[in-house]
Amino acid sequence: MDLFLQTLLNGLLQSGIYALVASGLALSVGVVGIVNFAHGEFLMIGAFLAWAASASLGLDPLLSLPVVALAVFGVGALTYRVSIRHVLLAPELNQMLLTFGLGILLQNLALMLLGGNTRTVSTPYQASSLQLGELTVGGPKAVAFAFAVALLAGLYFVLYRTTLGRQMRAVAQNRRGAQLIGINVDRVYLLAFAASCGLAAVAGVLVSVLLFASPTVGLVFALKAFAIIVMAGLGNLTGVLWASVLLGVSEALVQTYVPGGGGWSDAVFFLMIFGTLVLRSFRGSR
Amino acid sequence: MSAVSVRPTPARRPTFAWRALLALGIFFVLALAFPFLPLGDRREFLLQIGFFTLVAGIMALSWDLLARSGQVSLAHAAFYGLGAYGYALLLKAGLPWEAAMPLAALGAGFISLLLGAVTMRLSGMYFAIATLAFTEVVRTVIQNLPESVAGGANGLLVPALLGGNSRGQYLLALALLLLTVGVSLAVRLSKLHHAFAAIRQGEETARVLGVSVVRYKLAAFFLSSVLAALAGVLYAGKTFFISPLDTFSLANSISPLTTSIFGGLYTTLGPILGATVLRVAEELLHNTVKNGYLVVYGLVLMLSILWLPRGIVGLWRRGRQGGDL
Repeated sequence: MDLFLQTLLNGLLQSGIYALVASGLALSVGVVGIVNFAHGEFLMIGAFLAWAASASLGLDPLLSLPVVALAVFGVGALTYRVSIRHVLLAPELNQMLLTFGLGILLQNLALMLLGGNTRTVSTPYQASSLQLGELTVGGPKAVAFAFAVALLAGLYFVLYRTTLGRQMRAVAQNRRGAQLIGINVDRVYLLAFAASCGLAAVAGVLVSVLLFASPTVGLVFALKAFAIIVMAGLGNLTGVLWASVLLGVSEALVQTYVPGGGGWSDAVFFLMIFGTLVLRSFRGSR
Repeated sequence: MSAVSVRPTPARRPTFAWRALLALGIFFVLALAFPFLPLGDRREFLLQIGFFTLVAGIMALSWDLLARSGQVSLAHAAFYGLGAYGYALLLKAGLPWEAAMPLAALGAGFISLLLGAVTMRLSGMYFAIATLAFTEVVRTVIQNLPESVAGGANGLLVPALLGGNSRGQYLLALALLLLTVGVSLAVRLSKLHHAFAAIRQGEETARVLGVSVVRYKLAAFFLSSVLAALAGVLYAGKTFFISPLDTFSLANSISPLTTSIFGGLYTTLGPILGATVLRVAEELLHNTVKNGYLVVYGLVLMLSILWLPRGIVGLWRRGRQGGDL
């Protein structure tokens, strides 16, 4: 029983990061209408920036987090200006391939400049753990989860309680209608896309503490984020939370109860994508 | 849906078709003459570059075949890898290579029918995501199977193709590229071309017009995967060694896609020209940059989408519509 509860807890904690990555992606898909295949690479940039701040300045990743988020927000805004903006009206295929190209470019630039090694960040609380009755929680995991929850709460507050959020949701529902009532659609797109990149970067900082920074660290998270937003339904932000928890917990269950589960848990997201897509396509509601 | 907005084809322009055929002919004559040139002491190295250029051509053109039916796949690495693994395992089971090669290709083709049957109803990005995930999972499965079955994460040794004769290997690759071009031209000149184009431009409309979408989409998947698997067999036989990480690398899905878009989507000549240019550029860069030479592919993909959506083939048929081969 304790093993089961421990597994559920681990899955839940893991889902915080997933939700962070996926809600960023959902913002880009839902508001801007761009499926950003380079989303994982913005996460990777965040992880590397946190590592660089920690290695050169001795700054704790959780302290450098706001600066890193802001920096990647800027990179995202720039990316929108020079590339995304020009394919907004192009066929979906072109948008997809453009972001795909961007992802390959960023990933391999990192590989070229920094090499393929994984970089770890060491923090004093890395090995610490909390004891909750019979259950143990890794310190960094708990901190990362707390950060993710706080940020998601902030995101939902902005989306549902502020003018900017209302504008974003209006643009997501109907681009032309939003334009007609005087919303600056281009500005909303810019902010939404940059915010989506910023969220990825925050997740990246947390990943650098939990795992490591490496040029390819983003891909797996991006794939899982795709699984989550596909399961939630494109652009459905509340669904993202439930789907993240579902993915995190099922992965943890596979890890604990399937023999040799460590390797197989990476296939869980695929089954979820496939199951949802197939189910949905056969029901005929896409 | 399509990357290039194609208006309904007016009368075919035979002038361009002949030029494309001529260019293809010249390419094959040059490629055939290449291994017989006095290449000096860098002969082995040059033949190897030539060999992988041909493999890249097969990959790009077979990817393009699938894309013509509106299915932009990120699973090409999976079929490439399945070809390589199927070949290695069949050789291990004691089959001669002449039998192992087509069997491995057909096996990959069969698996592609299964994937195609599931992803059939998905379009655009859903399809791309599903195929990307499929590749990752095939890799995960092969990596996690017991080592005695498929070598696990350590990979498998593969006997050299044709006893390691470089010129023979090159000519075999050339013959398979010729086969791919033959398939591509046959698709272009048969009713498959019209069915694929109709499905790509609007699946609902195609269905209303009486095109049996299911059958044509599966046909495209099968042809494309068999050819990609043949490329994988060539790769396995040339490098003697295959591992899940290298064989199912995302790079093997990206390069055919980029090559084909850069060269010119939905044409026969485009992917081959693209493969020649990009592969040679890659080799040159590979010598100076150890890591991350895929940067070029990312850059080329972005620039092509932004400024050259019809590829290099489109440069000299600027303003013309239709008649492309």
